[in-house]
Amino acid sequence: MAVGLLLLTHPGIGAALHAVAQRVLGSQALSVGVFEVPFDAELDALSLRARSALARLDSGAGVLVLTDIYGASPSNLAARLEQAPVPMRRVSGLSLPMLLRVLNFSEQSLDQLAETAAQGGRSGIVCGHA
Amino acid sequence: MLERELSVINRLGLHARASAKLVQLLGGFKSNAFLIGRGREVNAKSIMGVMLLAAAQGSTVLLRVDGPDEEAAMEAAASLFARYFDEGD
Repeated sequence: MAVGLLLLTHPGIGAALHAVAQRVLGSQALSVGVFEVPFDAELDALSLRARSALARLDSGAGVLVLTDIYGASPSNLAARLEQAPVPMRRVSGLSLPMLLRVLNFSEQSLDQLAETAAQGGRSGIVCGHA
Repeated sequence: MLERELSVINRLGLHARASAKLVQLLGGFKSNAFLIGRGREVNAKSIMGVMLLAAAQGSTVLLRVDGPDEEAAMEAAASLFARYFDEGD
């Protein structure tokens, strides 16, 4: 039973990252959903749709929610999802390294995968040569 | 435990898709696998690890595999390198 993955981002970001990850990795073991929050969106109105996206991705192992910037509306929407009955963890700072690393370790549990995501984001930042 | 020097001969080196293929290939084996390049040792089953090597065409990396199916894993990986990661060039 695999964790579900929800990319909860500003417009254009989640879908683009997902498309590149698909191109790089081919078919993926995790089911991935993309939810892009429009600018000036009313979060109350979006909450319901976001909750149903979360529920669709859960197969019992929970859902990892990756957001781009902590404190921005997508991340604030993710915070509201914590009240949903679906087990979830959220990690901010979504990047291609973070996403590839999560998909690479798709067999992990929800808690492990949240750590894996954070580590992938950190290790993706390299100044000059590694 | 087995070790073998592998030459990176494909034009784009260990770029994202080549790294993903290697990681996915080795992920199918039980053995642990490590890649060593430019003094850095990384988990060869981790895509971000492999990409940190930034191994270009013309470089060599050392693959170390250790486990019950190490011979098959080494053969499969060496073949992937030799096949230009199925990229044609």
